Amino acid sequence: MGVLEGKTAFVTGGTGGIGSAICERFEREGADVIAADLTENGGSGTFHRYDVTDENGVIDTFKELESKWAKLDILVNAAGIEIEETIENTTLEQWNRIFAINVTGMFLTSKYALPLLREAGKVSPAGASVINFGSYDGYIADPGLAAYCATKGAVHALTRAMACDHGPEGIRVNAICPGYVDTPMLQSFFEGDGSGGDGGDIETLQQAVRDVHPMRTYGKPADIANLVNWLASDEARYAAGQLWVIDGGLSAQVQQMKL
Amino acid sequence: MILQDKIALVTGGRQGIGRAIADTFVDEGALVHVCGRGGRPDEFPKEISWQQIDVSSSGQVADLASVVGRCDVLVNNAGVQIVKAVADTTDEDWDTLMGANAKGVFNVCRAFIPLMNDGGSIINIGSISGNVADPGMALYNASKAFVHGLTRSIAVDHGPHIRCNAICPGWIETGMLDAGFDLANDPEKARQDALNRHAMRRFGKPQDVAKLAVWLASDAASFVTGQCYIIDGGLTAASPLNPGLF
Repeated sequence: MGVLEGKTAFVTGGTGGIGSAICERFEREGADVIAADLTENGGSGTFHRYDVTDENGVIDTFKELESKWAKLDILVNAAGIEIEETIENTTLEQWNRIFAINVTGMFLTSKYALPLLREAGKVSPAGASVINFGSYDGYIADPGLAAYCATKGAVHALTRAMACDHGPEGIRVNAICPGYVDTPMLQSFFEGDGSGGDGGDIETLQQAVRDVHPMRTYGKPADIANLVNWLASDEARYAAGQLWVIDGGLSAQVQQMKL
Repeated sequence: MILQDKIALVTGGRQGIGRAIADTFVDEGALVHVCGRGGRPDEFPKEISWQQIDVSSSGQVADLASVVGRCDVLVNNAGVQIVKAVADTTDEDWDTLMGANAKGVFNVCRAFIPLMNDGGSIINIGSISGNVADPGMALYNASKAFVHGLTRSIAVDHGPHIRCNAICPGWIETGMLDAGFDLANDPEKARQDALNRHAMRRFGKPQDVAKLAVWLASDAASFVTGQCYIIDGGLTAASPLNPGLF
């Protein structure tokens, strides 16, 4: 029997690189999963077309969900985008867009999911679990990712605030802060202006990235899904308000000089 | 002169950061005592008193306290570095490193807290290595994390009488830094790589640290306590992974 047997889960960004791995894992653990995203990928979970920036759509979605499930045990806010620019080259439109998705989207989904999360908090002794996607970039900066870093810092603060406000209602709120994970977003970062990866041979670049990690590899979406799964499970009943860095040891070290 | 007539003790002030702090304190009007394990160095500024003691010995620290008497500013700078991973570290390494970097800071704080005037300021030299690991420096990294923890405890337990903060320097230009580059395959390339990892594109100077120490020692910082301030030219604000430098 899976550890999420009998639980309901709603995953935004559910067809993305990490989101689809989470849906797959949740399903395997016995949860009833909705993969909420803009585009379908034929992957795990029941696909639900969902735009985190559209308040009316979010309201309608959770109205629909109320008649379907009556409670929501797990909410994963994984929808997010990246803009590979310094602030100088970031337009106001780009800035507003990334905040609309990475921060405001998390706010809207969480806000309208609360009544259903509260219901789960009443019946489950381990409470409902909200898992937000922060990033190690919310602590330390990657070059040429200014607006992204700022949104992740906002996610970290929002996570603590939600944990304080809704813990007493039986809702645990945590954030996961991944480092480098093998996703389309990572490839996009390598191709971005600020990363310095532009024009570099991707194989050479990937090896160099692995070598900087104490674990000598970067993460796979399944590695992230493992931690999400634990936070979603009843074993994590005392985990709340924390930012869980998972990065192969990358940020445990100071910059590695080439000596 | 913002430290006029204040009495200060700087441990480990023969050279480098400690010496820069002692000199800057003198410039700001303080009466400065410096201690070190050796005898008074040649051509040491005559206005600074030199005390030969080993901070890892509580008895010697007690003797120092009876010589210095009451003071306003205490800078725990004395420390040693051993480049070894845990598996290679000996009992003797532990005693040497933790004796100076951990027990030494404790000894000096314990002896001087009762002697400090109201409004006194303790400044411990921590390190960015107490927050993130420098490879092959296990005990050093751990000893600096000890310093950060002790700093917060002293601030909490001994306020409002005294303040206690730590400064966490990054790469500071001292003899130690040059020695490191000399060991590199290509010293000039290694230096350039390291510089590129600093947002300010330079290494710190002992004076950079000394200026922060002066501010923390002064009454301008009278609401600052229990903090560990990083001064590293932006080094640790950036990810260790920097594809532009591959």
